[in-house]
Amino acid sequence: MIKEIVVASGKGGTGKTFISSNLAYLIHSLGENIIAVDADVEAPDLILALGGEKKRFWTEDYYGSFRPVVDYSKCAKCWKCLNYCRFGAIKKSDRGPLIDYSKCEGFGVCAVVCPSKAISLTRVKTGVIYMAESESGIKVITGDLELGGGSSGRLVYELKQRSRKFLKEGYVVVDSAPGIGCPVISSISGADLLVIAIEPTPQSIKGACRLLEVARSLRVKAVSVVNKYDLNPAIVDKIESMLEVEVVGRIPYSDEVVESYTAMTPLLATKSSIKETVEEVLNKILGEVP
Amino acid sequence: MIIAVAGGKGGTGKTTLAVSLALLASGEHKVLLGDIDVDNPCTFTLLDISLKTLRTIFAYKPVIEEEKCSFCGTCSFYCPAHALVVIPGKKVIFMETLCEGCSLCEVVCPNGAIREGKETIGYLKFGEKGYLHLIVGELKPGSRRYHEVAGETLAHILSISEKYDYIVVDCPPGTGASVAEALKVSDIVVAVTEPTRLGVHDLIKFKKLVERCGKKLVIVVNKYGISGGCYRELEKVAGNEFFKIPYDRYLVEAYSTGRSVVEMYPESPSAKALRDLWQWLRSL
Ligand code: SF4
Ligand code: SF4
Ligand code: SF4
Ligand code: SF4
Repeated sequence: MIKEIVVASGKGGTGKTFISSNLAYLIHSLGENIIAVDADVEAPDLILALGGEKKRFWTEDYYGSFRPVVDYSKCAKCWKCLNYCRFGAIKKSDRGPLIDYSKCEGFGVCAVVCPSKAISLTRVKTGVIYMAESESGIKVITGDLELGGGSSGRLVYELKQRSRKFLKEGYVVVDSAPGIGCPVISSISGADLLVIAIEPTPQSIKGACRLLEVARSLRVKAVSVVNKYDLNPAIVDKIESMLEVEVVGRIPYSDEVVESYTAMTPLLATKSSIKETVEEVLNKILGEVP
Repeated sequence: MIIAVAGGKGGTGKTTLAVSLALLASGEHKVLLGDIDVDNPCTFTLLDISLKTLRTIFAYKPVIEEEKCSFCGTCSFYCPAHALVVIPGKKVIFMETLCEGCSLCEVVCPNGAIREGKETIGYLKFGEKGYLHLIVGELKPGSRRYHEVAGETLAHILSISEKYDYIVVDCPPGTGASVAEALKVSDIVVAVTEPTRLGVHDLIKFKKLVERCGKKLVIVVNKYGISGGCYRELEKVAGNEFFKIPYDRYLVEAYSTGRSVVEMYPESPSAKALRDLWQWLRSL
């Protein structure tokens, strides 16, 4: 049985990677099998938080999109492609359809509907997927989306599929992208537990609230952790009732968190003064996995 | 002039900076602040203004008419988002939250059993504070289509741009397609980062995106001075030419109560640094 825990936040910079990296480290040090998945494919840094890359197992190119190419000699200028393109990516020209690739989502509807078979699709590499071992001994599957790339949700789907191929038993810890959009939905769907990293600010609470709506629609159990809770203690007590989500732990602000990143060592592997608090919170999270 | 405020990592202070610049600029100019961080737009909370909805943003969604369906599985085979599951002979299950609205299923269905429907994916909203106008795109929670909502919001901002002297665009984190589109239409890109290893690492990727778009990049390091930071690495990536916003308790306090530091503590070191940044940007 695989248990999948996804750490997300609704708003960036609230300590998502801090929680996921240390959670992965804790599970690993308990002797359990674990693969960490970095689903923040536009800005992947989980492996850095786990000490950096020690060994690369494999790398594969990710072809996440198609590029329609028009063979103008076959085009009958019927404009069916233009009428069917839902993303406004096709314009008329004397030769036939002109495709604006910055708008094209690459699903290939135009190629399917063209009666003259004048549009062919070529696969486009939109990123890479790789599995590596971090300096702290944890296996990480990560994706790196090309600059300006789309289709990040499908890349996340692929990453999660890979983690299940390489793990028969144990835990998958997913570090989600910030926000509530496409890659986040892919991260959360099918997970056993969602952990929401919240900061005691109105902005972060609003993001968490939006994220919870998504979790509920996907029927995924959610709990939350309040990071840097001492920045605004007055608001912390209200979070549970405002969001109707259990707060399983509170982590204080500490310079040692930034220092642990600079030293590329998970906080749990340091002598930090908040280490025990963090460990306790993470153990509680593990206890919440259904 | 269009100024895009972005930067790879989330939570580095993009919105604080965008709001501050817009507020400072609106003292003397007509300013539009555009918020395309549609997953969780926060400009209006920091400005403490309420918004009114200009319009709802819709997108395509397939509607399956089961009486015409032969459960052949073609739609499921073509669906790029794994949103359709066909149980042979029995049922087509459509998982709305996974759908990306490409309409391939409709096009490939041999029995015409799929027709066009529409769903709400977000909202376009407007607000104002003195001479400062605000356009906000907001994704409906549960919808995947953040890229389209951001795109519509950006298109709206551009359609009214000639009414303003300055347009500040608050971008989402990351280096994805929505960010790239905003950078392309901007005159200056302000990248906000923090002196942490993750912040510096994400800046490297972001810088490449700006270079590819051929735009002028101004790097702003927020929380400058936090202890244990990654300062040497930061200088390697950002050079010596970057703006520093010092980490002070005023900024933290203003932010954690949902306010902007330039309004709440105009004499604080962080507010002063933000003013200097604005003076410098306007001289460009
Ligand atoms: S692939 Fe899709 S988005 Fe691109 S041009 Fe064809 S129909 Fe339009
Ligand atoms: S559908 Fe095919 S034939 Fe018709 S205009 Fe488009 S490319 Fe040409
Ligand atoms: S392609 Fe059409 S007929 Fe076939 S399973 Fe899908 S909806 Fe039914
Ligand atoms: S519109 Fe596209 S993504 Fe949605 S169900 Fe149909 S094929 Fe799948």
